[in-house]
Amino acid sequence: MIPTISATALSRRYRDQVALDDISLAVEPGTVTGLLGRNGAGKTTLMRIITGQEFPSAGAIRVFGEPPAENDAVLRRMVFVREEQSYPDFRVGDALRVASWFYPNWSEELARHLLADFGLPPRRRIRKLSRGMRSVVGIVVGLAARAELTLFDEPYAGLDAVARQQFYDQLLTDLAEQPRTVLLSTHLIDEMADLLEHVVILDRGRVVVDAPADDVRGTAVTVNGPATAVEEFVTGRAVWQRRQLGARASVTISGPLDFAAQARARTMRLSLEPLSLQQLLVHASGSSADEEVSA
Amino acid sequence: MTTLQNVARYHLVDRITYVALPWGTLAFSFLVNLVIASQVAPDVNSYYTGGLLSIYVFLLICGALSMTRSLPFALMLGLSRRSYYLGTALLVVCLGIVYGLALAVLQVIERATEGWGVDMHFFRIPGILDGPWYLTWLTSFVLLVLFFLYGMWYGLVYRRWSLPGLVAFIAAQILVVLAVVVAISMADSWHALGDFFSTATASALTGVLAAITVAMGVGGFTTLRKVTI
Repeated sequence: MIPTISATALSRRYRDQVALDDISLAVEPGTVTGLLGRNGAGKTTLMRIITGQEFPSAGAIRVFGEPPAENDAVLRRMVFVREEQSYPDFRVGDALRVASWFYPNWSEELARHLLADFGLPPRRRIRKLSRGMRSVVGIVVGLAARAELTLFDEPYAGLDAVARQQFYDQLLTDLAEQPRTVLLSTHLIDEMADLLEHVVILDRGRVVVDAPADDVRGTAVTVNGPATAVEEFVTGRAVWQRRQLGARASVTISGPLDFAAQARARTMRLSLEPLSLQQLLVHASGSSADEEVSA
Repeated sequence: MTTLQNVARYHLVDRITYVALPWGTLAFSFLVNLVIASQVAPDVNSYYTGGLLSIYVFLLICGALSMTRSLPFALMLGLSRRSYYLGTALLVVCLGIVYGLALAVLQVIERATEGWGVDMHFFRIPGILDGPWYLTWLTSFVLLVLFFLYGMWYGLVYRRWSLPGLVAFIAAQILVVLAVVVAISMADSWHALGDFFSTATASALTGVLAAITVAMGVGGFTTLRKVTI
């Protein structure tokens, strides 16, 4: 099967800065992939190259098996919702009407439902909307377009927690009804963690993690308990981080732990806590992530 | 083809910018000049105005806006730059045909009413827009498209290189004009050029304008290819 997106040795350099540094990755059809990383890690640049809005300095990008730049056959099958998307001087309803002309799978019913659900007035001019409500316009277009490849680049600027949860729920509901490939960039990782099937973590223009979300979640485990027991348990394992408070210690080690190790932890009265995606990202992007093996 | 039609329709959603304002400014300019013409002594001289220019200038603004304000949303919707440019050009051709015909009709009325009763030359410009209605239609069409494409090019230069690029673009145009002027002087051809323009028919001038229009289109299209948003 042709991957929906495939990048090979892709680089993008600006005058004095490297936005993407020799990255290779593939996004399989029908998956929800999270593109994670700190500000300036290259997430937006990658999405802009995927949608043909930016050009690579080196390497190749293929979408649906073809180069996307100026390729109508490819571009027409995707929708790209940017953070702080700008619009002409339109009413909300005008923007949705225009979007519906360009997408054969456009769902008018879904668009109307989403407008009502988010409380977005269709007659209101987009420039008069609040920041959060302007973000909703992009989200509605992105979802109702039902494009084969849907890209969201931190689409929730100014949205409150309730509205963000609505967005995640709507995305999941509609994906169940109309499966498609979704690439989402975000730094609200724990909020979105349940949505993601695959995770790509970028750090300073490089791919540091590219794996199924379930695998990533077991990558590291924090062991808590009495310091001596914890030290005994982690001996011989790769230690990511060590914290000690009085007689208690909290040590993060590489996972996943097999069944025997888990049973051993229980008998030693140690608690195990898998590292969340968010904490993983902090480790993966931090300079202190250099591993050391406990003696 | 339907994609290009949809791009044209996309622009026309904003009817205020593309329809109401060009004709609104022209109507305003016309009324102001009509009042002035009625106040000057009618039997001394015919009253010439430059008011017709307002609609052309407005189309230049429309062209610039179409490539700046409206571009990001179009690219969000999966349009290629090429489709976007060609669809916008389709809109320009349609507007040029309709607006050009309207200008030709208004010129016919102006001639029939002997300058709206006050001997005003608003829709008649000597030497270029003063012939039969069909020639006025053609010349107006070419001029409208020319101004719009020229505006598009400005918008694209701004999109791609921002304000410094815009300044450089204007400077480059001045240098081109300067080079032409120097070349004509060195070849001692001012007389020949003067003879051409004083004897040239409106249709020959329209041909020259059409060639410039094509150059504008090619220039804008070339600039667009690497525009990012």
